[in-house]
Amino acid sequence: VFTHCRIKIMPKAVVCEESNLRGDITFSAGCVVHPSATVIAEAGPIIIGENCIIEEYATIAHRLVPDGEWDNTNILSIGHHNVFEVGCNVEAARIGDKNVFESKCYVGRGVTVSSGCVVGAGIKMNTGQLLPENTVVYGAQGLQREAIDKQGSQNLQIDFLRKVLPNYHHLRKPNYDPKKARSVV
Amino acid sequence: MSFMQPSPVKYACSCGILNPINKLFFCRHCPKLRCGFCVCHEIESHFCSNCLENIPSTEARHKKNCCANCFDCPCCQHTLTPRAVTVPVVRKTEEPKESKEKKEGETGEDATAVAPPTPASSKPSAVPTTKKMYYLSCVSCRWTTRDVGIPDQGVATGTWPDNECLYQARFNALVEYFQAVVLQEKQEKLEFMRRKAPKQHKFPSLTDRTGLTASLIRRQIGWNDKSIPKAKPVITPAEATAEVEGLPADIFTEQLNLRNVTTIAQRHSQPADQPTAVGSLYPQRRSLWIKRSLRCRQCEHNLIKPEYHPTSIKYRIQLFASYHVPEVVMVRCEQPPTAGKSNAILLKFTNPTMYDMTIRLLTAVPLEDPLMADEVNRIKEEAISSSPLLRGVTLARQNSTREVKREVNDVSNAEIVPLESEFVLSQRDDSKEFDEYVQLPTEEPKFIVWRKGNKVLIRLEFTPATDVPVSTDVVLGFFMQYTYVNTVTNAPEKKEPTTHALHSRVFITAGAAEQKAN
Repeated sequence: VFTHCRIKIMPKAVVCEESNLRGDITFSAGCVVHPSATVIAEAGPIIIGENCIIEEYATIAHRLVPDGEWDNTNILSIGHHNVFEVGCNVEAARIGDKNVFESKCYVGRGVTVSSGCVVGAGIKMNTGQLLPENTVVYGAQGLQREAIDKQGSQNLQIDFLRKVLPNYHHLRKPNYDPKKARSVV
Repeated sequence: MSFMQPSPVKYACSCGILNPINKLFFCRHCPKLRCGFCVCHEIESHFCSNCLENIPSTEARHKKNCCANCFDCPCCQHTLTPRAVTVPVVRKTEEPKESKEKKEGETGEDATAVAPPTPASSKPSAVPTTKKMYYLSCVSCRWTTRDVGIPDQGVATGTWPDNECLYQARFNALVEYFQAVVLQEKQEKLEFMRRKAPKQHKFPSLTDRTGLTASLIRRQIGWNDKSIPKAKPVITPAEATAEVEGLPADIFTEQLNLRNVTTIAQRHSQPADQPTAVGSLYPQRRSLWIKRSLRCRQCEHNLIKPEYHPTSIKYRIQLFASYHVPEVVMVRCEQPPTAGKSNAILLKFTNPTMYDMTIRLLTAVPLEDPLMADEVNRIKEEAISSSPLLRGVTLARQNSTREVKREVNDVSNAEIVPLESEFVLSQRDDSKEFDEYVQLPTEEPKFIVWRKGNKVLIRLEFTPATDVPVSTDVVLGFFMQYTYVNTVTNAPEKKEPTTHALHSRVFITAGAAEQKAN
């Protein structure tokens, strides 16, 4: 039972009507949420940073521990410029900036993702760990390497999406909320 | 048909190895089954698997069998794709703005892909002539050439600098030296043969009659030898030293950063220098692939000949076994196989040929077909009586690739009850699948469960041996004798197609023996 269902959408964020949003979620300015994306805030509020792209069938979940309860102070904070590609399933404890979660990857609850990381397509990260900065997880065996070159910026893509998505989908209206302090973790 | 799973039905090839039917070929001239081990593999053409470009063999040898345009990622061994970056070339001293674009093309060699949008804030005072710079990037592990410091190139392909091996000069010197040595040895051998066995010409020369040679006379009168003695190829031998540079002192104190150490697979994929640090990984040129043609060793006819063009997967000559030999598929065992308990297996036979086929299942080797024995002898005689010019070639080839006869290992551990009679499989008729199924009122033998077109389902009874231990595979073996109509003629005079009764040994793995229920 979600009695704390409250979705805050900042101006300039494009959130499609057909996405599945449950719980207390904040979309910062510039976010793009495709239809059929799922964001579930079970254990606590989720704050999604600016200019994040959440594609179709991506699931971002803040799951409850087996005997847990809703805790208003247990915030899952996701950083800026993250990309959640199609079909990914992210239940990480904390996510930094500029990460890319490629298609159909699974990031378990024990994983803390820092900044600049890329979790490759189909990778399943079940073990709890801290992913250092600029780590690329790739390959069938989930090998990790350090990326020296920064990943490409998604600005073109996000501008395009902000322009095109409203032509084809109904959007949720932004409820203006600029004064809310975002807890920086 | 089970795809990607090992087939339980194996045929014995003429060389004795057991193979499923998809790995076998059928030589129409012998006529026998052949497998990959008893045929000659010949290289038809070289091509790059990424850009599908055909490379002539001489060029391939010169380039060490590597593609000129395609590279492999040194980190994960996938293919690198060129990516474009628009760099504005401005006359004034301004910082160039980089806007990265993603290239959607598969090969990425097409430089005229998506048109880049002009940079948002282009100052009207400067003249923004944009230039495209390329770098190589891997889609799977996101490794780029910028990670190791290779500068971006102005052209997508062709200008990537090669990683020169430290020992390249020494290696080239060694290769030249050994080539010279080989040449010299060959010449010496020729000279020796000439001295020992001089050819008898029709008109004997002065030397032949009197034993005087030009070199003898020159020596007598005191002149130098006419031919300058050839310079012997010489090379400085490698010096072996026992001195090895010591370990750096900080190897025991410094923290090892595993992310900077290459894996063994990464080192082996770069055999020239085998770097230990990730910063020395260099993109390797992609190896070429080949197209093979297969040739029967006995009769020298081609079994498989592929199309020349790399994009085509068809064959010019395709003598696969499944086009000529009836295919046996195991449908199911009626009960789980248990040692000593009688059981029955359902087998589906398919006739792939355009002629009706009569099949018999036997437990012992059938008598040799006299007609076929004749043909085999005739082929041998033909090979021998060919012209003397060719004889040397064919005999030499036969000697080097002699057929190895192996006894077929009888791995069967079950007794089968042979079928009462033979049965007929009708020809393959593709038009029949559109006709309605008409039940023929003919008398069918009892072991035929159903029949449709060129397929028949047979029920074969068998009993695994009593001493089969639990959870070992129960294997049935039988000889399948089938009629084969040979439409190819090797003899100069025209003949009608002849019918042979060929036989192949088939082994079927029925499953693991289960615990006997008491």
